[in-house]
Amino acid sequence: MLLLVAPAALVLVCFQIIPIFIGMNASFRDWSLVNPAKTWIGLKHYRDVLSDPVFLYTVLPNTFMLMVSSVVLSLASGLGLALLLNKPFFGRPVVRTVILLPLTVAPVITATMIRWSFNDQFGVITNLLSVLGFPEIGWLSDKWPSFSLIILTDVWIWAPWFTIIILAALQGLPREPFEAAQIDASGKWRTFTHITLPMLKPVIIVCVLIRSIDAFRTFDQVWILTGGGPARETEVFSVYAYVEAFVHLDYGKGAAAAGLGALIMLVVGIGLYKLVNRLMEVSR
Amino acid sequence: MRILSRSVARVLLLASSLTALSAVGARAETTLNLCYMNHPVIAANVTILEKWAKEQGVTLNKTPVSYSVYLPKITQMLSAGATDQCDIIWNNDDWGQDLEGYLASVEDVTEVRNVAEGQLEPFHNKEGQTTAVPIVTTAGIFFYRTDLVPEDQVPKTWDQLVSVSKKLQEEDKVRWGYVGGMSYTNTFFSFWWTLWNNNCDIYEPLYERDNVKMGEAGWKPMTASACQKETAEFWWDALHANKISPPGMTTYSRDEANAIFQAGDAAFTVADTTFLGNFNNPDKSKIAGKVGIATFPQGPNSSGHRNWIDIWGWSIPKVIDAEKQAAAKKLLGAMMTDVDGQIEQWHLTGGPPPNTKVWKVLDEQDPNWVKMSKILFDSAHVHDAYYFRNWAATHKVYSDVMIRAMKGSREDIQATLEAGVQPIHDGAPK
Amino acid sequence: MTVEPFTLPIARPGPTMFERFAPGAWRVFIGLVIVAVLMIFIAPVAILIVTSIRPASGIYYIWRGTEFTLQNYVEVLQQPQILHAMFNSFVMATLATVVSLGVTVGSGYMLSRFTGRIQKTWFATIYVFRTVPYISFVLPLYLVTTNLRIYDTYLGLLLPHIAVHVCFFSWLMKGFFDSINPSMEHAALIDGCTRWGAFRRVALPSAMPGIAALSILSWLWTWNEFLFALILTGQRTPMITSTMAQFVTETGTEWNLMSATAVLAMLPALLVTIFGQKYVIRGLRM
Repeated sequence: MLLLVAPAALVLVCFQIIPIFIGMNASFRDWSLVNPAKTWIGLKHYRDVLSDPVFLYTVLPNTFMLMVSSVVLSLASGLGLALLLNKPFFGRPVVRTVILLPLTVAPVITATMIRWSFNDQFGVITNLLSVLGFPEIGWLSDKWPSFSLIILTDVWIWAPWFTIIILAALQGLPREPFEAAQIDASGKWRTFTHITLPMLKPVIIVCVLIRSIDAFRTFDQVWILTGGGPARETEVFSVYAYVEAFVHLDYGKGAAAAGLGALIMLVVGIGLYKLVNRLMEVSR
Repeated sequence: MRILSRSVARVLLLASSLTALSAVGARAETTLNLCYMNHPVIAANVTILEKWAKEQGVTLNKTPVSYSVYLPKITQMLSAGATDQCDIIWNNDDWGQDLEGYLASVEDVTEVRNVAEGQLEPFHNKEGQTTAVPIVTTAGIFFYRTDLVPEDQVPKTWDQLVSVSKKLQEEDKVRWGYVGGMSYTNTFFSFWWTLWNNNCDIYEPLYERDNVKMGEAGWKPMTASACQKETAEFWWDALHANKISPPGMTTYSRDEANAIFQAGDAAFTVADTTFLGNFNNPDKSKIAGKVGIATFPQGPNSSGHRNWIDIWGWSIPKVIDAEKQAAAKKLLGAMMTDVDGQIEQWHLTGGPPPNTKVWKVLDEQDPNWVKMSKILFDSAHVHDAYYFRNWAATHKVYSDVMIRAMKGSREDIQATLEAGVQPIHDGAPK
Repeated sequence: MTVEPFTLPIARPGPTMFERFAPGAWRVFIGLVIVAVLMIFIAPVAILIVTSIRPASGIYYIWRGTEFTLQNYVEVLQQPQILHAMFNSFVMATLATVVSLGVTVGSGYMLSRFTGRIQKTWFATIYVFRTVPYISFVLPLYLVTTNLRIYDTYLGLLLPHIAVHVCFFSWLMKGFFDSINPSMEHAALIDGCTRWGAFRRVALPSAMPGIAALSILSWLWTWNEFLFALILTGQRTPMITSTMAQFVTETGTEWNLMSATAVLAMLPALLVTIFGQKYVIRGLRM
């Protein structure tokens, strides 16, 4: 049985766990990238991060808000699209390919594209909206519009991810329960809540967990769209860690912020696992 | 196994090249890895290096690195002491003091000291020797539309900038008066040029960059001073009251600002001098041939025009072989003395040549150069950065304070600036 | 008229309200939804493509003017590095997908079918280390690869990618195996199959759509990945993304060239998606 995981475990240890430990080691030390003195300073970086009001009152709430809204919205749209695509209809292969389009573009490019498209002067979409008579919105320069834009971009990128996984799961489901439901003449909604959803549960739980973890550390979209601005109001935790480590070159502090984020996500993830489990039970 | 076969191959290669060597009597091939950001000016300079590498029998391996990871990657490489990745690196005055400990002195490179006054100091090591050979002088300059504004009406003051802009906008000749980058790391193209042309700076004393002197003065931020407030109010008015600048400008980088200017939607901008080429290139710009350069409009508190100029340079890591270091220095020296190559670089990119001796040659033959050189070099100067470890972080704090002031109401500007004093002071060295 | 169709459970499938009032309206509504969805999904890609065929002077205001050109593509394709990088990325994405699949089908199956200390530890391990953001370990990864002397080689990028896939794959694979009824395997076992045989003949085919979906996702993820490619490669093994990123400089982005490269990079990704999703749908069940 160990043999089943041994190769995966070996790679994981060498190229993820060891680097992570090096990083965590740095978080307890005076470790600037330009001058890695590496003197032990204990929990100072952690104290600094935890006593930073920006981290506590802006970065963390933003991170959670982004995580929850992005995961909920992309799960809902992903599930809907997967159900739609699970039935044959005219032109389905084309629709399927189109829905997977966002996956084929690098998120960095997507975010850049969205940034240009929502520019207040030359943005295609802002100009379209103003032609349609919508009032002018500071899509990138005001907090809530830009935060919504970040969320929408994230949903655009990740909804297809849910779609393809759930679609695969739907395809793998046994036929018998559905045939039985047809014989019982159950309604569509009832079949969905009583048969489809429970059988999809394992996959959905895993999807939600993985996506939540990844959404919690979303970086590219935020960094490119707003850079955390205006004046840090849309900053999320991985931008915080990135700026410390890669811009200010204070690798120790960046690693500490990243470590704290990982810890928080660890706890949240366990809670989330239980919550999703419970929700899926109720929906039955 | 692979390592074994590789070393066998290497020995064979060495042996064969040795035979070839003794047969022909040629020089041993030196390979130099060049690590840089793929910027047009740097690329033009690399072309000069390639020409001389061929001459000197050196193989150049070009490794362009994306700017988005350039600094962390290079610092990590230098602090890890890796010897096999880069032999010559692009260096920037902002990081000169961070990297100097890892870099070899290049004081012995031919004509390395032929630069404008004070330009190599940011790259000095503890012994006062430079660790960088210049590539180009980077500077910002005021651009205006010659088809909209006759030369004698180019704004000399902020008030004129506003009135000329408004007039052009009212006459429907152009959509916006001024556009320029404002987001973090684009601070130069709005807040800072006005700050420096309003007799103001980030710390007191004005325009001083010597850390010792600044330390003695106590790193006193000028964030809440009257001259800073004037600057903030000027931009607040430009965005919200006079509406000479687009409302989204607080988020603009150079990309957005240049796009709007190049599309013909703004009358004025401030950008790096190297964009003169782009702006006047019909393939890239709708306003080609209609772009002129001028001195910055002055603020109410100004006592004269002031420009920032700073050098981008080539540096050599300390840890590489002495033989490679020597080859690298010889190559850089050849670039420094290549007058034609440097003039070609100027023509291609609008980047001032690295060697001031070449400036004198250009003074004789190129009126465009004379004009730019007057604006850039015949004025008072300021370095566009401070040279302490935490500067990048403090720059971010400053940028956040200013953006917050722009997004708030006009009455709150003073309070927002005052709230910035302590963090900006704390950002400086103790 | 009764309102019976709205109460659950529905006794008989009958026409819905919609269909009673306006026959075919439901269909039209669904059609419109599909069109709207398609537009949302196409729009950014369409804008990207239009951008890439605009001359450099019209790259931002793409809605102004009607000049179009292939100059950006010509310029990009003249750089020999681009094709080299495409090839590298293709090899990397394919290898990462195949090898990750190889090492994790087993681990996913184990997570799903066995319980015990090893299973629990493994699950906990991949969970814990998944939560750490890449930016905190990509620089140590650089140190590890330089020390192993595999920096800027295929291996030096491949192994970190696999490490990232391990968690994702094992976990989702567990989800897929979980949703397959184990009773069929038990039946196979009783019929005299070995555990391996039961896995191969019963569990694996049922999980095929899932495996296909994972392959597409991991291939695209590796193909489009920036951070590792930027930090862990140099001039010897450029990836398409790190090559694209070179159009970003300190004083601005060469967006005309970058968008053309991005569109070029989309083509293989699109092919893989179209090719791969056939297996997601059909699996081996049909």
